[in-house]
Amino acid sequence: MQFAHLRRVAAGGAVAALTFAGVGVATATPAYAANSKVSVVHGIPDTPVDVYVNGEKTLENFAPGDVAGPLDLPEGQYDIALTKPGEPIGQAILTADDAEVPGGANISIAAHLDADGQPTITPFVNDTAKVDAGKARLIVRHTAAAPAVDVRAGGSPVFEDLTNPNEAKGDVDAGNVSADVVLAGTDTVVIGPADLNLREGTATIVYATGSAEAENLAVVAQTIDGLHSAPSGVPSGTGGQADTGLGTWWYALAGTGLLLLVVGGARVVVVRSGRR
Amino acid sequence: MTVVNRGALAAVAAGAAALAVAAVVAVVSRPAGDVGAEQAAALASPTPSTSGPAVPVAPGTLPDDAEPVRPVGLRIPSIEVTARVDPVGVDERTQEFDVPPSVDQVGWYRYGPGLEAESGSVVIAGHVDSAEQGRGAFYRLRELAPGDTVTATGEDGTERTYRVVAREEYDKTKIPLERYFARDGRPRLTLITCGGPFDADARRYRDNIVVTASPV
Repeated sequence: MQFAHLRRVAAGGAVAALTFAGVGVATATPAYAANSKVSVVHGIPDTPVDVYVNGEKTLENFAPGDVAGPLDLPEGQYDIALTKPGEPIGQAILTADDAEVPGGANISIAAHLDADGQPTITPFVNDTAKVDAGKARLIVRHTAAAPAVDVRAGGSPVFEDLTNPNEAKGDVDAGNVSADVVLAGTDTVVIGPADLNLREGTATIVYATGSAEAENLAVVAQTIDGLHSAPSGVPSGTGGQADTGLGTWWYALAGTGLLLLVVGGARVVVVRSGRR
Repeated sequence: MTVVNRGALAAVAAGAAALAVAAVVAVVSRPAGDVGAEQAAALASPTPSTSGPAVPVAPGTLPDDAEPVRPVGLRIPSIEVTARVDPVGVDERTQEFDVPPSVDQVGWYRYGPGLEAESGSVVIAGHVDSAEQGRGAFYRLRELAPGDTVTATGEDGTERTYRVVAREEYDKTKIPLERYFARDGRPRLTLITCGGPFDADARRYRDNIVVTASPV
């Protein structure tokens, strides 16, 4: 695993991708705007909810630790509301109005605790660019009521000083890695260690959730597949025994044959005409 | 008949013979040609998704470490191939398929589907030959024709039989590798080696030979 280069990414890895309430009028909608894939991640401990999108119940009794979706949603603004299961939308415990969903994106909307332990909703845009052959993408999102943390793989920090509600990411060699989360700059483990199986051609998104104070820090994971690339080529022969091209010897043979025909033919003609 | 004339006639005869040999060689060494290209393309087209209106909900657990069933052996009776299959990835530096250096072994692309997969292309590539070791396991791959059978033995001991549906030859700069390394579309086995004209200076073949086979 080569993680060293990821530290740079971690430093500025914040993604405040979508704009929420108060943004006002949406930009003009392109005529052929593609739908977005939208997932919903539940990272608030001990609080099952019903999820309403634009006033319509979309998820019922959505449990903490679960991931819903992806839904295909057209570009636009959405009102999201979470209620206790069965309660009317008027008594929502958490709302996000005019959540902007851009066209053609892959988005995860996380319901989680902010750094102070208050429930909140944060949208993240998922990086679904292709990864190189043999690689996997690891994205870590700090969505827990906890201070800044470092994420370590195999004991060494790969993402440093990650704070709520930000993410850090990097493309790494696919395969298994033992990862844990420590308080930033310390060796105090707050989550893990856990074995992460980073599958080739996928993005594994790990959300740190819960509350340090309540001692219920945990992780919720989401995987996006189909990001693989084909190898750049299949080099499978260096001998030349199966050569189906016409080598230089062929051209020499054909050329000599032609030459002999022409010269010999000319001589025949010359000799015959001389005899006449 | 004069001596000169006889010599000239001999030259004509030799020239004709040389040209005839050259012509025969040219005809014999012509690429075997593509067969079944349309069938191969059809297998690669994505299977329609069956998602209903309900929103899927799943526990956000960390991905499990379930491994695909890897092929360990390959048999192709019609071209007398019996080869060991090694799991391989890509070359770190070139990003190319890491074909096993030993030419009597072939490599299964371990990042792609395994034998149990219900969709996508299981890819096995092997050398046609090498400068040091001579003919490789896939030396005669270009002779495969639709209907020939290919049997892959999995590490689970199960044998799976495939029937060749297509054989195609592509210039390496134009081969649609995404299609042959796809993880969607109908389940299929893709065998790849080198072929076509050989560049003796660069020690490489111009083309790839690709054989597509469907589970029987």
